Amino acid sequence: MADLHKNSAKILVFSTEKISDPAIDMAGLLKLHYPPTVYTITIPCSSGIKSSWILHAYQKGFDGVFIAADGSDCVYGESCTEKTGRLVGKTHELMKAEEIDPARLRMAAICSVCSESFVKQIRSFNEYLLKTLHP
Amino acid sequence: MSMDVQKKNMNYDALVIGAGIAGGEAALNLANTGYKVLLVDKELSVGGKMIMLSKVFPTLDCAACITTPKVSEISRHPNITVFIGSEVGRINKLSENEFTAQVTRKPRYVHVEDCTACQLCEKACPVNVRDQYQFGLIGRKAAFIPFSICSPKAAAIDIDNCTLCGACERACPTNCIDFTMEPETLELHVKTIVIATGFNLFDPMNMPRYGYGQYKNVITALQMERELAPTRPFNTILRPGDGKVPDRLAYVLCVGSRDASVGNPICSQICCMYSIKQAQLLMGALPMADVTIYYINIRSFGKGFEEFYQQAKGMGVNFVKGKIGKISEKENGNLMLRYEDINEGKLKETEHDLVILSTGVLPNAGIDRLFENEKLSLDSFSFIGQSDMLASPAKTSIEGVFVAGTATGPMDIPDSILSAGAASSEAISYLIQHA
Amino acid sequence: MKKKKIGVYICHCGGNISDYVDVEKVRQAVEGEDIVFLAKTTMFACSDSNQREMVEDIKVNNLDGVVVASCSPKLHLLTFRNVSVRADLNKYTYVHANIREQASWAHSDNKTGATEKAIHLVKAAIAKSRYAEALETNKVKAIKSVAVVGAGVAGMKAAISLSDKECDVVLIEKESFVGGRVAQWDSLSTTTETGKEMISRLYNDLIKRENITILTNSEVIGNKGSVGNISLTIKKTPRYINGSCHPEDLKRAIAICPVEVPDEFNFRLTTRKAIYKNYPSEYPQTPVIDLKNCTRCGACEKVCPTVDFSEKEEILDFSVGSVLMATGFDSYTPAYGEFGYATLENVITLPQFKRLIDTQYGKLTYKGKEIKNIAYIYCVGSRQVDGENTYCSRNCCTSTIHAALTAKSKFQDINNFHFNRGLRTYGKQEILYADSLRSGDIYLQSYEDGLPTVTTEGKKTLVKINDILTNGRKMEVEADLVVLVTGMVPRADNSVGSLFKLPKGRDKFYNEIHMKLRPVETVIDGITIAGACQGPKNIAESVNSALSAATKSYSILSKGELETDPLVASIDPEKCTWCGACEAACPFDAILKVETDQKVIAEINNTVCKGCGMCAPVCEPDAINLIACSSDEIMSMIDALA
Ligand SMILES: Cc1cc2nc3c(=O)[nH]c(=O)nc-3n(C[C@H](O)[C@H](O)[C@H](O)COP(=O)(O)OP(=O)(O)OC[C@H]3O[C@@H](n4cnc5c(N)ncnc54)[C@H](O)[C@@H]3O)c2cc1C
Ligand SMILES: Cc1cc2nc3c(=O)[nH]c(=O)nc-3n(C[C@H](O)[C@H](O)[C@H](O)COP(=O)(O)OP(=O)(O)OC[C@H]3O[C@@H](n4cnc5c(N)ncnc54)[C@H](O)[C@@H]3O)c2cc1C
Ligand code: SF4
Ligand code: SF4
Repeated sequence: MADLHKNSAKILVFSTEKISDPAIDMAGLLKLHYPPTVYTITIPCSSGIKSSWILHAYQKGFDGVFIAADGSDCVYGESCTEKTGRLVGKTHELMKAEEIDPARLRMAAICSVCSESFVKQIRSFNEYLLKTLHP
Repeated sequence: MSMDVQKKNMNYDALVIGAGIAGGEAALNLANTGYKVLLVDKELSVGGKMIMLSKVFPTLDCAACITTPKVSEISRHPNITVFIGSEVGRINKLSENEFTAQVTRKPRYVHVEDCTACQLCEKACPVNVRDQYQFGLIGRKAAFIPFSICSPKAAAIDIDNCTLCGACERACPTNCIDFTMEPETLELHVKTIVIATGFNLFDPMNMPRYGYGQYKNVITALQMERELAPTRPFNTILRPGDGKVPDRLAYVLCVGSRDASVGNPICSQICCMYSIKQAQLLMGALPMADVTIYYINIRSFGKGFEEFYQQAKGMGVNFVKGKIGKISEKENGNLMLRYEDINEGKLKETEHDLVILSTGVLPNAGIDRLFENEKLSLDSFSFIGQSDMLASPAKTSIEGVFVAGTATGPMDIPDSILSAGAASSEAISYLIQHA
Repeated sequence: MKKKKIGVYICHCGGNISDYVDVEKVRQAVEGEDIVFLAKTTMFACSDSNQREMVEDIKVNNLDGVVVASCSPKLHLLTFRNVSVRADLNKYTYVHANIREQASWAHSDNKTGATEKAIHLVKAAIAKSRYAEALETNKVKAIKSVAVVGAGVAGMKAAISLSDKECDVVLIEKESFVGGRVAQWDSLSTTTETGKEMISRLYNDLIKRENITILTNSEVIGNKGSVGNISLTIKKTPRYINGSCHPEDLKRAIAICPVEVPDEFNFRLTTRKAIYKNYPSEYPQTPVIDLKNCTRCGACEKVCPTVDFSEKEEILDFSVGSVLMATGFDSYTPAYGEFGYATLENVITLPQFKRLIDTQYGKLTYKGKEIKNIAYIYCVGSRQVDGENTYCSRNCCTSTIHAALTAKSKFQDINNFHFNRGLRTYGKQEILYADSLRSGDIYLQSYEDGLPTVTTEGKKTLVKINDILTNGRKMEVEADLVVLVTGMVPRADNSVGSLFKLPKGRDKFYNEIHMKLRPVETVIDGITIAGACQGPKNIAESVNSALSAATKSYSILSKGELETDPLVASIDPEKCTWCGACEAACPFDAILKVETDQKVIAEINNTVCKGCGMCAPVCEPDAINLIACSSDEIMSMIDALA
């Protein structure tokens, strides 16, 4: 494990069953590699994530949390984007209060075919986390 | 052959002939709306050609992975009875909603329920023959499991090649091998019939100028499908001549299609795409290899197809517009392809170390002869005729008999699914209307 | 509660997984977990033999649940839930781990990393399994009735087929006539029946059925509820003609109407009046007044007694179990100046050309000039290198060749020049191409990076190309008429798609659930798609998809009852203080305010809740959890992954 951490940060991804999961699956299918310490938990919709889950992840030693949001493709309607944005804002506040760098929580809309964009996002997040947390 | 026809009382709502993806989908649609279906296939597994494929264009889903769930759904469905290794003969229409059909179950010489697919019989069997399920790429035994994901997964004895030495019988831990099994012919009563007997591939032996069967390193695309499949016979891509890993591969398109001189003027509609798919997979498996596709026109017409074609170009697959005139073999097993490069207007010759023939789709002849008292019409290419081609594509010349999938003409998997959906829809309507 | 006993199966997937992930190591890493009673590896978890073995294992050992670590749950979640059911377990006790797409394949460059990750993913699944409970599905009554939106050939055939299955149908058509595009075509390829005849045949079949309601001039404007019971609101615009108008009266009324607007039926080649009928055998036979353009001068009212301006717009409500979408396609409209479109007089599109040759006899003329040389430019608006429409429109090659042959046989001295990008007359359509070559049509093919150009020199219109087929020679054709072979694009008006929240694919056509195996179902339960609204298709292909969609819609409803997912939100009444935040967050109006003996709290309407979870994070006292996705489960998964 120690070895792994040299070039790969521990990232928890919240992804959604119908929209971003297929993109992440397709990234695998296309063998677009990304760090193996990136783990995905599947939920129905990104606007259902609780701040407490995210904070729990930092407590347990995750370097970063990435929300692969539904964006405008959400099957539960257009309000998803705004609601996910709001919960990220709220979590940022809570992170600041606990002196956690808010940049350790990232969000990007990942559509069901956005494999490349997912991998690009994760790689750059990984670099940021390594630079700031494991220099 | 004279055989006793057992008059067991067997009644089904629908008889589906052929358990490829089209027949399977039609059977499931019927069964899911509550009808009792008998699904018959002459092979030792359900799944037709699709279950043998590597990945599918243009999604690159693993074919086995998306077929096996369907296959197990079929084999488990309470409303579906599957007869494998069985042939249908003598169908008679007594009246609307009433057909009789004879089905002959060929003996497998293995009791499927008891077989655990442990493969001990395979190890024990001394006979080696060409493996038809790997399209002759490798051999198999006379006691064998057809292929790793076949359904039902059980051994079978190839009695034509068996020496009756009894080694398998002795090796079998569950005593499920039984040489006393006899063919049985059953007479069934059904209310409607769906024909989904699929297609045949053009036999490239009929085009000697390409050297198939003569030059070892000329193979068919179906053989390449097996080399690329997750359940592949070798661990990597090999050329059969000498087991070398090829690095200059060529695809020859329209082999036996769009060619009146071999009696098949129509386009097979899938071979451009499956060749492009294989080329992409090969670029992944053999990153250093050059793959060239020789074509007349690329027919990437379906949803996502053109993008898939452009993606292949982007990956570096070399597309050459030109029809191959002749292939000849060099001493080292490499092949010389002579062709006219249409873009450049020149006759050219290029060397490749493995040539894949993208053979076309032909009708599976003879199905019409099963019908005794009514005529099942064929179209001018000998595919099953569609009596109202545009407005009711699944209807045939016999009311109550419907057709699904490639039995009507070339098509890919989604089109086969749609056509099976139409056939089952017509069959359900027919059952309800003639209840 | 007694400690759970679960089984864990780790799949090789032939090698797809085990080539990169050490599956045995994964097995060893998890077999010691307290609730794991057995842990096995298997060559193909989804194979029949393994499924049978799982059923055995569960029954023999009295397992409470299973975890399978294999490919994406998109492929096999249902398979293994069903295995559990066959072993008499509740299907929601099953938990899936994806170690192929998200481990072996994603990290095929790093076997140690892939194996480590697989171990963590399986541990997280085991953690989730600890909480997985037996859940009962909600049963709802299914209304045996289907709304078919769009009465093109796909919608009409779907309606007939559903009616045959004794299912009620409401067929909703936006235009005043049925038949869609096919009603606009006369001669069709591969048949001697004309498009209009085919539509008449289908219409006559439709109207004799009592269980079909046909609504023309109608649109769906509201949609509530979900699969099994969907309430639709339909707006029906009046025709302003009451009863059947005498043909002579109608003729006079049309003659007297002073308004003249471009005729969309003829793709704006001609004009029509504000009171009109598109073609004599049009269905329904009643003409229509287009109120948007009508000046209300009242001239027609005077000659035709059936004209009735007092008719009012109607709002109708229908409850159906499923909706079958068959809204078809539009033809691509070329950009201003694209191959001379709209800038040159004699440049038209393929649909216009079809109308032109169908409506003329004797001589083929356009804008008063006789046409002899026709240049067809293929793939306009399709296979775009720079534009968004990267796809091929599938049937325009065939339709063009067919139209060109029709023109040749109907009119004299026609010379056809096909400027194509590689002909796509797939399948049996190849015969048409061969016929066309035999009849002397000239084919010129452009290089992908050198499309043909249309220019004028004096009064001449010239089409120029570097032709692949003659080794790149510069060729030039003087054309009397240039036909742009415009492809199919999604309907410009997508309001009905947005209403049902139908997802669209890269090509902007409606998207199916699975491109290969489930081409007519969508991610929205109970909504199926058929015909050209899913992607370009010819008539036979549209009908196949329509009948498939009808079968799927029917099979959802045929039992009269259906099961909905119990994975909905749940509210802890102890914690809830009714602040109303959840009610505001719910996009489906699934939250009710209820009064119990002690207090006012929120309650979830289980049949309406779709389980998105939007209400959960906004609840200050943290009283809301999604079933199977609760905080306890998520936190324990995080613990396992950490
Ligand atoms: C090399 C190759 C690659 C391909 N790749 C792709 C791809 O990537 N994507 C894609 O969409 N399509 C692909 N295809 C096409 C695909 O295989 C077909 O579309 C599909 O298999 C058609 O299914 P079917 O059920 O109509 O026919 P089949 O698969 O031929 O099934 C017919 C079944 O009927 C049985 N049968 C025949 N006669 C009888 C009889 N008399 N009695 C009982 N049973 C009988 C046969 O044993 C068989 O099981 C490919 C085809 C080839 C050749
Ligand atoms: C130039 C040309 C020539 C062709 N020639 C042939 C040929 O010879 N042979 C052949 O097989 N195919 C041919 N086709 C293809 C054929 O036209 C299509 O396959 C067919 O029209 C598809 O039918 P559809 O019902 O899916 O869509 P459409 O025909 O587009 O019908 C859709 C219907 O839905 C209605 N609608 C749309 N939106 C709404 C809404 N929101 N609410 C209610 N109703 C709505 C429309 O008004 C229309 O009536 C040709 C196509 C073109 C462009
Ligand atoms: S699909 Fe392609 S390879 Fe096959 S016959 Fe048609 S043009 Fe030839
Ligand atoms: S069908 Fe023919 S004209 Fe239409 S987009 Fe495809 S290649 Fe171009």
